[in-house]
Amino acid sequence: MAEKKMWNGSDHYLCDQQLANAFHISRTLGMPLLIEGEPGTGKTELPLQYAKDRNLELFVYPVGSKSSVDQFVAKFDHVKYLRDSQIEVLNVQRQEKGLTKALSTSGRSTENLDDYVLLGPAAKAFSSPNSVLLIDEIDKAPREFPNDLLYALSHRKFVMPESGKIIEVSEDDMPTIVITSNREQELPTAFKGRCIYHYIDFPEPDTMLKIIEKHFPKAHKEVVDVAIEIFYHLRKLGLDRSPTTRELLNWLKYIKAFAKDEAVEKIKSLEGIGVLVKTQEDLEKVQHRLFGNSETDYGKRSNFN
Amino acid sequence: MFEGLPQAFKQYGLDTDVRTLLLLRKSIKLGLIKTFGDLFATLKSIVVKEQKLLGPFTKAYYDYFLNIQIRPGERLDDAIRRSETFERWKEELLLEDPDLQAKDMTYFIDRFLSEVHLTQHDIKQILSGREILDQDNPDMLDRGGGNPSEGRILDRAADYSEIDMKELLERMEKVRRQQSDLHGGGSHWIGQGGISPYGFGGAAFGGIRVGGTGGGKMARKVIDDPRYFPVDLDKTIRDDNVDAALASLNGVIETSAQEELDIPVTITNGIKQGGLFLPEMKDIESEKMQILLLVDNGGYSMDPHIRSVTKLFRKMKTRFAHDLEVYYFHNTIYDEVYSDERRRLPYPIRKLVDHDPNYCLFIIGDAAMAPYELTPRSLESWNALKSKFKKIAWLNPEPISYWSHTLTTTYLSKLIPMYPLTPRGIERAVRKMNKASLRP
Repeated sequence: MAEKKMWNGSDHYLCDQQLANAFHISRTLGMPLLIEGEPGTGKTELPLQYAKDRNLELFVYPVGSKSSVDQFVAKFDHVKYLRDSQIEVLNVQRQEKGLTKALSTSGRSTENLDDYVLLGPAAKAFSSPNSVLLIDEIDKAPREFPNDLLYALSHRKFVMPESGKIIEVSEDDMPTIVITSNREQELPTAFKGRCIYHYIDFPEPDTMLKIIEKHFPKAHKEVVDVAIEIFYHLRKLGLDRSPTTRELLNWLKYIKAFAKDEAVEKIKSLEGIGVLVKTQEDLEKVQHRLFGNSETDYGKRSNFN
Repeated sequence: MFEGLPQAFKQYGLDTDVRTLLLLRKSIKLGLIKTFGDLFATLKSIVVKEQKLLGPFTKAYYDYFLNIQIRPGERLDDAIRRSETFERWKEELLLEDPDLQAKDMTYFIDRFLSEVHLTQHDIKQILSGREILDQDNPDMLDRGGGNPSEGRILDRAADYSEIDMKELLERMEKVRRQQSDLHGGGSHWIGQGGISPYGFGGAAFGGIRVGGTGGGKMARKVIDDPRYFPVDLDKTIRDDNVDAALASLNGVIETSAQEELDIPVTITNGIKQGGLFLPEMKDIESEKMQILLLVDNGGYSMDPHIRSVTKLFRKMKTRFAHDLEVYYFHNTIYDEVYSDERRRLPYPIRKLVDHDPNYCLFIIGDAAMAPYELTPRSLESWNALKSKFKKIAWLNPEPISYWSHTLTTTYLSKLIPMYPLTPRGIERAVRKMNKASLRP
C-alpha cells in the first residue's frame, strides 16, 4: 500500500491547505497532480520536499523542447546492441585465428533484449512502488508528448521498446506523480482530464512572511517587513514580468549579509533591484513610479522594439 | 446519487460527464469526502482543470448544492445574504442560540462559509490543537483546553468523523433536494442535518475560525476576482483576452524531438571502421517560428482592432523572440504592401513572395471594400501569396455572420482560409497551419 497519508509540508516547505488537499486527493485517487502557478511559487519544490520528508525514492524528469517518450519511459540502445552482435562475430573470428582472449560485452547478451533497454525515469518510478515522480515543466514539451503519456497514465502500464516487456504498477503502488506547468502552451484536454489540477495562488503577504521564515529563520523582522512591503508594491505596478518568490528570497539572501539598519536602508534604496526586476522597460517603470525619476533619458526612449 | 450534477455543471461551461461521477464515487469510497468542505475541495480538483474555471465552478457548486445563485458581478457575501438557504440556516441557528442575535451580518456569513467549507482536515487540525496554536491569538491560548465549550466541539468533531459514510451521503443528497425544492419548506439545513459538526453545536462555535482560512476565503476571493472568470474565447480580441489569443498562437511554434538515422554518415563511418556499422543519429531540425503579418490599417473600420492586434503580436515577439515581420495595406493589395504604419514605404509583393515558404502568413483585415477595388491585379497578388505560403490565414475582426453580407469578404474567404479574429479563431487557424506543415 502506497503512502497515502495527508502531507502538510515540512520544516522547509510551507504547503497551504488547499495545495495539501489537492495533493492528498491526487495521491488517494492515484492520479497525477498537475500544478500550475506563477514561477517561483514552489511548484517543483513540492514533490522534492515531500520525497525528502517522507524518505521516498524520487525520480525527476525535466522536460525540454526535445523531450520524447523515449527518454521519459525507456529507450532501446541500438548502438550497444549492434556493437555486441558484431563483437560476437569478431569473437568467433578471433577464435578461429587461435586468439583466446574474447572481447567483452560486459555481461550483456544479444539473446536477451532487456539488456539493451535503457530505463527512463518513468519506467524506473513505475517499477519501484511508492516512489515519487516529478515531471517538471511539461509545457516546454513538444505538442505530442503529453498525448503520448495518456495510455500509461490511465492504464499504469508501459511497454518496453523491442523487448516488449511490460512494466506495470497496481493502483495501490502507483507512484506519486507531480507535473508542473507554466502554461506556456495549452495542454491537451484529454491529458488534463487524467490529472488532478491545482493552481497555486500567489502567496499573500502573511504567507510570504512564513515562507521567508522557513528560509531565513534568523532574518530580522524589520528587514523582512520592509522587503515584503516593497516586493508587493512592485508586484502591483503591473510590470511585464512581476517579481516572484524566488527572486525575493534571492534578494534577501544578498541583503541579509548587512547589519539590520544598513539592510533596511539598502532595501529602501532598492539596492540590488536587478534581482527582482529583469527587463529594461520594467526597470524604467519602477524608477519612474517609485522615485518619480525623470532626469534619466529612459522615459524619452520609445517603447517600440 | 447526484445524477443531475454533470448536466447542471455543464451549464456553467464546465466539462463534466459520467466520468466525473465515477471519480466522485471513487473519492467517496476512498474516504476523501466526509464533510461538505471535502466535497467542494474534491469536486474542484476533479472538475477544474484551469485556473479560469474556478470562478464558474464556485458558482455552479453554490447553485447546485446550496441553491445559492450568484449573479454576474455579484459578491459572494451578497449572494449568500439574499439567499433563502442562508435565511433558513440563520433562523435555525438563532433558535438554538438566541444569544447570537447581537452578532452582526459579517459574523453570520463568516460562520456560514466556515461550515460550508469545513474539511475533515480542518477538523483534524482542531483535534490536534494545531489550528488553535497557529491562530496567533493570545486570548485563545490563555483559554486553551480549559474552556468547557471548546471541549464540547472537539468531542462533536470526533463523533462526527465516525458517522457512517453512506448515511452521511444520503443525508447530503436529501438536504440538497430540500434546499432546491422551495416547497419542501424543509426544516433541515446542512448544518442541522449533520454535515457540519458545528451546525448543531450552537454556542460552542465561539471564536474558533475554521473555514475562514481555507475554502471560504478562497471562494470569496474567486467570486470577486475577474481573473477567475474565463475570458470569452469567441469575442474579438481586445486587451482582456490578448493573453488567451497568445496562448493559441503559441501553437505555431514548431518543435520536434525526433531523431532519425543519418544514413550517409553511418555508411561512411561504417566503411572506415572496416565494416562495423554503427548507426549514427541526427536530430530532425526543429523549425523556427517565422511569421509574416499583413495588417489592413486603412479606414476607421479597422482602427479599434489594430492596437490589440499589434499588441498581441508584439507580445508574442518579446516573449518568444523569433522572426516577425509586419506589413500594412489598405483594403486590398495590388503590387505592394507597406513596411510602415503610415503606408509610405512600399514593399513589393514579389519580395514578400521571396520569403521562405515555411513562413506563416497572417492577414488581418475585414476584407470589406467596394467590389471594384478587388481587381484582377489584386487577386493575382493574393493568389501569388496563397500559392507560395501554405500556412496562410486571414483573421477577420468582423463577426462571422456579417461576412456573407459583403461581396468581397465572401470572395476572399473562398480564396484564403478565413477565421474570426478571436482566440478560438486563431487557435483554429493555427491548427490548420500545422496540418499544412506536415510533410508527406
